[in-house]
Amino acid sequence: MTVSLTLDGVSASYGKTRVLEDLSLEVGAGELVSLLGASGCGKTTTLRLVAGFLAPDAGRIRLGDRDLTRLPAHARDIGLVFQTYALFPHLTVLDNVGFGLKQRGLGRAARRAKAGEMVERVGLSGFADRYPANLSGGQRQRVALARALVIDPPLLMFDEPLSNLDAKLRVDMRVEIRRLQRANGTTALYVTHDQEEAFSISDRVAIMDRGRIMQLDAPEVLYSRPANAFVADFVGFDTLLPMRAVAEAGDAVRVRMEGGATLDLPRSDWTVPAQDFLFAARADGLLVAREGAGIPARLGLRTYLGRAYQYRCETPAGELIANGPLSQPMEPGETAVLIPNPEQCCLLPAET
Amino acid sequence: MRRRIHPALVGFAALVFLFLLGPLVIILGASLSNTTYLAFPPEGLTLRWFENAFEISAFRRTMVTSFSLATLGTLLSLAIGIPAAYAMARYRWHLPRFLGNVFVLPVLVPEIVLGFALMKSVATGLDTPIYTTLLVGHALLVLPYCVRVVGASLAQFDFSVEEAAVSLGCPRWRAFFTVVLPNIRGGVIAAFVLAFITSLNDVSISIFLTGPGVSTLPIQLLAHMEQFFDPTIASVSVLLMFVTVVVMALVERTLGLTFLAR
Amino acid sequence: MTDRRLAWALATPALLLVALFLGLPILSTFGTTFTTDEGVFATYEAFFTSRFRRAVLWRTMEVALITTAISVVIGFVTAWVVARAPRNVKSLLIVAAVFPLLTGVVVRSFAWLVILGRNGILNGFLEGIGVIEEPLSMLYTQGAVIVAMVYLFVPLMILTLVGVLDSIPEDLTDAAASLGATPVATFRQVVLPMAVPGLIVGAVLVFTGSFTSYATPQLLGGERQMMMGTFLHQRAMVTFDWVGASTIAAIMVVVTLSTVYAMSRLAQRLNPVAG
Repeated sequence: MTVSLTLDGVSASYGKTRVLEDLSLEVGAGELVSLLGASGCGKTTTLRLVAGFLAPDAGRIRLGDRDLTRLPAHARDIGLVFQTYALFPHLTVLDNVGFGLKQRGLGRAARRAKAGEMVERVGLSGFADRYPANLSGGQRQRVALARALVIDPPLLMFDEPLSNLDAKLRVDMRVEIRRLQRANGTTALYVTHDQEEAFSISDRVAIMDRGRIMQLDAPEVLYSRPANAFVADFVGFDTLLPMRAVAEAGDAVRVRMEGGATLDLPRSDWTVPAQDFLFAARADGLLVAREGAGIPARLGLRTYLGRAYQYRCETPAGELIANGPLSQPMEPGETAVLIPNPEQCCLLPAET
Repeated sequence: MRRRIHPALVGFAALVFLFLLGPLVIILGASLSNTTYLAFPPEGLTLRWFENAFEISAFRRTMVTSFSLATLGTLLSLAIGIPAAYAMARYRWHLPRFLGNVFVLPVLVPEIVLGFALMKSVATGLDTPIYTTLLVGHALLVLPYCVRVVGASLAQFDFSVEEAAVSLGCPRWRAFFTVVLPNIRGGVIAAFVLAFITSLNDVSISIFLTGPGVSTLPIQLLAHMEQFFDPTIASVSVLLMFVTVVVMALVERTLGLTFLAR
Repeated sequence: MTDRRLAWALATPALLLVALFLGLPILSTFGTTFTTDEGVFATYEAFFTSRFRRAVLWRTMEVALITTAISVVIGFVTAWVVARAPRNVKSLLIVAAVFPLLTGVVVRSFAWLVILGRNGILNGFLEGIGVIEEPLSMLYTQGAVIVAMVYLFVPLMILTLVGVLDSIPEDLTDAAASLGATPVATFRQVVLPMAVPGLIVGAVLVFTGSFTSYATPQLLGGERQMMMGTFLHQRAMVTFDWVGASTIAAIMVVVTLSTVYAMSRLAQRLNPVAG
């Protein structure tokens, strides 16, 4: 049975500091949603509220048709994987995995059988009688995962589960997590500060800042069509230029940027959202060329990226970063134009 | 938004702290009572029992003895304990492991047994002067604190810093005083404080080693209690508690009170 | 000078202090108990055949065990509350526990003399509210000694256990709850097993401390509640029976050291994590 998780107008505070402001979120049945953001953005608080380790000041938390808001943590039936793994150091791997089953009143034999099966499923067959202290980081992570999965919870939650592993293992484990979550069809909430991790395993990602969700969308949408400057900056648009539409120029809109330079954006490629707006681009989205319709620039330091050259460029609007083709290396000091590629740039409404 | 502890447990803990601090408050009250017997709550307030404590020469004498004993005994113990702790931290692999246990023997052997053995073998056997035996006994008593606490500090110390000083041309002995010692200051202060208080309050060793003309304050208090039961004892007790307060304040200023929690 | 020699040179003064003023005196004390004219184990036979001496040993064990049991319970509950208290309250409570610990044994025992005495505060209070008409004699009873000893050792127990409980990460109790463990189950299946090694350390400190105490039984127990410590002192300094006193000393050392040894073995066995 898969159910959805609903947070409805949840607010929370530590003492006088508000950490969550009227947050609403729905994780669909069988869906994996990540909460992504820098530390202090409220993602872990959200998870702890759902787990029942914190109580909200306002709002409701529902899992399917069960209202969790006032339920104590131990009655919520949620599988949770901790950043620190939180394995019980005094119990063997098998007993760690069996802990939740014991709380559910399973007899010793049934418990050992079921826990043993799960230990096998996460690939730790030979380690059932070991203590956590004698396991590697990756093995501990698997035990934590097995322990959360074996109780067959309607909701799985992960609190930065991979941040204590090395890079290679991190990639393997996230694939493993996604595989197991898919196989069980369990609804899941995943907290991380690692963008690549969140994008790679989630159905949808919520990018959070200062206790609010800035955008909740599929990774592809977030990556290419951020809804605001915060998200654009977060997903790596390193050029964010304020611009103003000043005139019509045939089939194009003429816009002026800071420093006075103007640029014509053809209507067929661009939709200007308002008179004042933000132009957002990654280095890949600004092509360095000798001539064309673009932002005039004087080239500075050139670095080699493997697939392209990257240039620091002096422009009337300040220093911008842009890429140029390997076939036409240009030297520092040359003048050039930076041509925006409509596929890889966004025009965002200006922030008020 | 934090989870709460059960109120019954909080109530119980409150009673425990009342139990821990109440008796000390009672002593403070009794020492101020304007009565010839120990009364609490005090009946009328006076400081005359504190005056009395200083007028009784036995108390005056033993206060001086106790403070000098605690100071000298602790310094002596630190003087030999710091090098030992340093050797064990710096040259672990050159020294047998049981050495660490040897230095804590004085807390493993019951104090009262140690006191008796010192009296029998040293004070009587070698006929050493009373004060000397007391000094040796107290230095021995506090040695475990000195070695252990300084040792814990040294365990945190990165000896490559000392090597850096030597590589810059500083002689070994000077590197110890200018580089190592300032970095383990906290441990040395803590060891001094713990050792000083332990020595100052000691009964079990001193009870065997005091003799005609030389006694310590706690032993004198015990003797006084057996004959008189007036607020003077309470006032001397308050003075001893005051020393504890001063010591704790000292620790707080230099190391922070969280240090005491460890 | 080689490192090895330097190491030994630095450690030697402290080693000498322990060897000359602890090792030799203790060994010579033990020696005298085996070298009497009556035979090798005569002094021990005499000790264990005397009903009075056996009673002293038994009483000391009993007092020490009861003191330990009460201190463990009181200390654990209090330490639990202290460990979970907000930071500023917590440091205040720790100071409140350290203060009595740093105050001398004589002063703290004296307080109970004032409280439990015939004209003491407790009798005064009970008479005042009309519970009793005649003052109770509470001093020089086993109860008085135990109360004062518990008073002496509870702070030690609290501080030891706060350290232990603090070292149990909150994530662990959270994890237990997320797996469906009620607070009681979490306590029994997670907190208690993890605190056992610390509990044992605390219990050993309290047991050996009360087993070998002198000032408290002297002041609150007197002749009637003679314990090993006061008995040793009486033999040595009042009747000048040094062989008898040495025998008592040897028995005390054997009991304390074997307790320490047995309990540290037990702590190791109950702590699979360390192994």
